[in-house]
Amino acid sequence: MTSLDVMVTVGWVTARALLGRRRTILMALLAGAPVVLGILIRLGNGTRPSALQNVLDVLIVSSVLPLVALVFGSAALGSELDDGTGVHLLTKPIPRWAIVVPKVLVSGGLTALLVVPSTLLAGFLVGGSGSHQIGVTLAFAGAVLVGGFVYSAIFVALGAATSRGLVIGLAYSLLWEGLLSAALAGTQLFSVREYIRGMASVLSNGDVESVVGGSAFPLAALTIGLVAAFASARLARHEIRSGD
Amino acid sequence: MTLAPDPSGSGPMPRMPLTPPAAPAPAPAHAPGPAPASPLVVDRVSRWYGNVVAVNDISFEIGAGITGLLGPNGAGKSTLLHLLAGLLRPSSGRVLVDGRPAWRQPEMYRRLGLVPEREAVYPFLTGREFVDVAARLQGLPDRRAATARAIATVDLEPVADRPVGTYSKGMRQRVKIAAALVHEPPILLLDEPFNGMDPRQRLHMMDLLRSMAAAGRTILFSSHILEEVERVADGILVIHAGRLAASGDFREIRRLMTDRPHTFRVRSSDDRRLAAAFMTEPAVFGTELRDDRLTVQVSEFSGFTRIVARVARDAGVRLLEVAPTDDSLESVFDYLVSRR
Repeated sequence: MTSLDVMVTVGWVTARALLGRRRTILMALLAGAPVVLGILIRLGNGTRPSALQNVLDVLIVSSVLPLVALVFGSAALGSELDDGTGVHLLTKPIPRWAIVVPKVLVSGGLTALLVVPSTLLAGFLVGGSGSHQIGVTLAFAGAVLVGGFVYSAIFVALGAATSRGLVIGLAYSLLWEGLLSAALAGTQLFSVREYIRGMASVLSNGDVESVVGGSAFPLAALTIGLVAAFASARLARHEIRSGD
Repeated sequence: MTLAPDPSGSGPMPRMPLTPPAAPAPAPAHAPGPAPASPLVVDRVSRWYGNVVAVNDISFEIGAGITGLLGPNGAGKSTLLHLLAGLLRPSSGRVLVDGRPAWRQPEMYRRLGLVPEREAVYPFLTGREFVDVAARLQGLPDRRAATARAIATVDLEPVADRPVGTYSKGMRQRVKIAAALVHEPPILLLDEPFNGMDPRQRLHMMDLLRSMAAAGRTILFSSHILEEVERVADGILVIHAGRLAASGDFREIRRLMTDRPHTFRVRSSDDRRLAAAFMTEPAVFGTELRDDRLTVQVSEFSGFTRIVARVARDAGVRLLEVAPTDDSLESVFDYLVSRR
């Protein structure tokens, strides 16, 4: 069996696990919130092109995306290790990276599947069909697509490293990215939110303001690679909690 | 077969008889050696969590056949099984599976199957899908046939296409066993495998374990139900408070427990006369005649079996039945645990 077959199998089980009815509905509702806001704006005053960047940045990049990625990313591996189902993967003759990679891909893919359409719809509803606004919307959608995988990789890695991955992930998103990054410029180098802004800036030819700018894509790729390698190493040293 | 000494002293516990001067030295069938040939070797292994010692300086080897791992709750059984399964790192000592360290050795799972105690299975998969995933991850060439075989082995065919989330506890147990068996591993570790099974399923599973052992597999299973172990296991490991209390054949262990009298129930043509005759024998501690039942307490199992016929003949009494009353595994286990 090739590593690809292993990853397809692990990915298939992970997708089935993540697409539980309640979780899927909740995440769809969360991802739908910006669309609902866009509809309300349309019904009220028509489009608001000047508010487009703020809506996409505050609602999608700073709120919906990290929350959806946190739920999928932490459930993909951390929940399995906590509830004991993970032992069925750990006791198979497969390299640990072949467990981590599909979990990152599936949780990132599901995050993108929900949040990218939400970004596009909210962008069109709020910004209208002007070419500049469409360009910004598409740029955010592309950045959100990549950002979903970066967040998911981080949250999968947290799940491999600690049983408190969900709490630490939430703290990272709210405290580090929300508060510290706003106050201390240096911390933005370690903020996925800033990478997304940077990627949106690159894709929109500078229409979106960003601190990291053109370094965003390499930083995002580097982050995914490093945290996936870290998660694989942690999983290789993972010790089951013994009940006796 | 070996017993651990009473741990009143400190320091490592060598494998030695329970009462060295009186008992014959047991053959070191489970003693660790430098060039391990047994599939499972635990060599002076300890495992602690912070200040809590879960497994304390344990050594044994297990070869082909069925070995029962006995111990009260919290004794360290699951910790020991997880160490053997490579899911825990030993704090000290060595755990070897087929001569290689179990820790961080994913390749060993080609030759080892684990049935964990926790019920956790993917509830959204059907039983067949669950076993099929195991077959796929094992890289089996004909995984469909292997899956069907494993499901049939645990008698789960009628419900194989139902989601595991709808299974009873016993069914979940069996589907975990099917997944662990799908690649037909020569080594099988089972943590409380009979939990939740009804009597018929238990008997079926016991037959299955026996047939696998007869085929040369090495099987170690933990249980807190002594009857299960007694009926299935060729040998036992008794673990208490993280230490190995005894290992080997439980009847042999009982015979080495020379600081505790053996008890026999005797029926004869004249129990009263026979009781008086026994009291003249130095090997007999005491006799009791109650409700027309004669029980005899003796210091040495084999010594009494040698003299009982002679004593009865000399007393002119006809023996109808001589049976040890406390040679059950439960008796052995109670004794080993109570002296700790």
